Amino acid sequence: MVKNILIGGKAGSGSAVTSYLIGKIFCTLGYYVFNYRDYPSLIRGGHNFNVLKVSDKPVYSHGEKYDVILALDKKTVDLHKADLIKGGLVVEASQFRQVLDKLSGPKILENDIMIGYLFKTFGVDIEVLLGAVEKQFGKNAEMIKKAVEEGYAMGEKKENLAKVGPPRYFISGNEGISIGSLAAGLDIHLAYPMTPASPVLHFLAKKQLENNILVFQPENEIAVINMALGSSFAGAKTMVGTSGGGFALMTEAVSLAGMAELPIVIYLAQRTAPSTGVPTYTAQGDLKFALNAGHGEFARIVVAPGDPQEAIIRTQEAFYLTCKYRTPAIVLGDKHLGESGYTFDALEKSPLTASSYPVKRATSYEHNEAGHTVEDAASIAESQERRMKKVESLGKEINKLNPVALYGEGENLIVSHGSTKGAIIDALPELSGFRFLQISYLSPFPKEKVAEEIKKAKRAVLVENSATGALADVIAEHTGIIMKDRVLRYDARPFTPEFLIKKIKQL
Amino acid sequence: MKPEELKTKEVITWCPGCSNFKILQAFQEAVAELGVAKNTVIVSGIGCHAKIYDYVNLKSFYGIHGRVLPIAFGVKLGDPTLNVVGFGGDGDTYAEGMEHFVHNCRYNADLTMFVHNNQVFSLTTGQATPTSEKGFKDGSTPLGVAEKPINPIVLALEAGAGFVARGYAMDVPHLKELMKKAINYRGFAFVDILQPCIIYHNVIPYLQKNIYKMSHDTSDFKTALEKAREWDYCYDKDQKVPTGVFYESERPAFESQWPQLKNPWHKIKREINWQNAIKEFN
Repeated sequence: MVKNILIGGKAGSGSAVTSYLIGKIFCTLGYYVFNYRDYPSLIRGGHNFNVLKVSDKPVYSHGEKYDVILALDKKTVDLHKADLIKGGLVVEASQFRQVLDKLSGPKILENDIMIGYLFKTFGVDIEVLLGAVEKQFGKNAEMIKKAVEEGYAMGEKKENLAKVGPPRYFISGNEGISIGSLAAGLDIHLAYPMTPASPVLHFLAKKQLENNILVFQPENEIAVINMALGSSFAGAKTMVGTSGGGFALMTEAVSLAGMAELPIVIYLAQRTAPSTGVPTYTAQGDLKFALNAGHGEFARIVVAPGDPQEAIIRTQEAFYLTCKYRTPAIVLGDKHLGESGYTFDALEKSPLTASSYPVKRATSYEHNEAGHTVEDAASIAESQERRMKKVESLGKEINKLNPVALYGEGENLIVSHGSTKGAIIDALPELSGFRFLQISYLSPFPKEKVAEEIKKAKRAVLVENSATGALADVIAEHTGIIMKDRVLRYDARPFTPEFLIKKIKQL
Repeated sequence: MKPEELKTKEVITWCPGCSNFKILQAFQEAVAELGVAKNTVIVSGIGCHAKIYDYVNLKSFYGIHGRVLPIAFGVKLGDPTLNVVGFGGDGDTYAEGMEHFVHNCRYNADLTMFVHNNQVFSLTTGQATPTSEKGFKDGSTPLGVAEKPINPIVLALEAGAGFVARGYAMDVPHLKELMKKAINYRGFAFVDILQPCIIYHNVIPYLQKNIYKMSHDTSDFKTALEKAREWDYCYDKDQKVPTGVFYESERPAFESQWPQLKNPWHKIKREINWQNAIKEFN
């Protein structure tokens, strides 16, 4: 069973919450769900939509054709009906106006009436819905439950979707980063609001007292990272979060972290740029920025998780590595990973944790081992060599951390990193002869493993959510291999399996 | 503890006769007399002032230009039990780092900020800063600075700083007492230290003639503002230059409002209850 459900409406009308709740209900029944969020940069009005892909088998991406359209406004029908499959279902909130009047509740209850109606169509037991609503809304659930029941009564049972397995975990990439940081031993999170990194700020801020951590929003990103390094000096394990523009402001202090040898984890959630770009949409255009940000030469860790489970593990690893090697670590994500909802049978953490300590001296100047300023040639060369040794030892260490992963069988190879993983994995069954090399560590770069796989392949295709395919340049830099075949997407939308299959077959 | 114990073996590279020697001396004496050496961290920016990092035997962070305050604030977040003292230059604090200055006056973390205000960028060979007087000419501004300088005392008062003072580098005993008061103050304590640069901005004769020590009710904000406006950081005519504490008032320090900010984080042994952490996703 596979269904794509689109839920759309004006910003503020609850399409994200409705989509999440429908996803949760399916997860309760043991289905696998992927939730894609598409919303412009505005607070009220406009057009937001979510696409939920539901299946009895694992799914990691959304589709482009819809089995169901849930329209919270008329515009949703107009914009998306062309993508409705033949015989698909359209449910409009306006159908339930009379019921809403009867309930005399807020307009947003229409969404809940709609949920009741939809799941009646699917033949799901009402108790499952009411249980999910209660879990989600707690004390405010009574009115919503009533609305769901009203909608349920109006629906007509067309299918019989039974429970297919134990309840699954439904989690976004940003939530994965957040709990990964807690599992690693986070003490302090500092961030200035910026989409799409802000959900981590909100998640951790809400949970700061129960986890005995500190979450603070300073005056700007420059303050964010410099405060973080001050706290790191005093022994705290600190993470900052931002997106491209904010990271641009931080770069001077990324270099400071490299020179002063202070641990820091930077969560860089990419969005479509340059400049302000397309703030609420996705891209992978900052790979080389992450790899090169900061003046001077120093070791760095750049790791790109491919899904929320990996976000947990890789964030823990970033903390572990930055504390052990005392050089900055960047967890490179994007809007698609951060804000999409994924389903897992279980959520695992890494056994790695981080520990740090206060230091007596830290300095932005070139310095000797006592931390005093030096300008003589011999001391400078010695200090540079000591710091650059980290690149080699880090390289050995990341080889133990699955820096690359291979999926599927075939003589041809798809090469990619980060959030494209989901669409690629879901496309693989349709791409016979292709397997997939996911590169998770971008710095240090696992060049031997990458070169080996690309050389073995009959044909290697790079997939990246960018206009240039920066990963190909990184591969060329480290291995000398030039990848000419590139499937790129740079319209601010994430890959879907349909898009990928079409483009790869066209090559 | 003797002030000598706070010295290091590093060669001091300030110009011979530089007024920064006086600030160093006053600070070493203040720390020695307060007996806070063990617990004190100094943070410096970049510029002549910042060389103090190498000359004081305390826990120290040699930061980057303009970022003394966020680094100092971060050290305080990282270990609220530390006594954190920032040293900045006037270019450092009032040009590159202005946003941090205003916000730290507002945050009121228990920090001390000493600004070596020589009204010029000296280590980069004498360019104008935001506190250079109108008409000041230099390599970058040969036609002369067109604007009036920022008055950091007025700014700090208006931005909400609870302890605002002005010191004079050449008066070490007075400066030492100001430093002690500032360090003892529970909250953000700011001291603008007039530190004439003998190479690029030698205003010692003017200051020697016009400086006086204030004696007013320092809890009176209105008087503090009037005193702050007595001198506009310019030298075109003789004006009285008040030194001492302009204003001192008590309000809760930043750390006191965060229940989790009590102890150094590195002493916490953490172990996550994983099942509890992932429960909400199931």
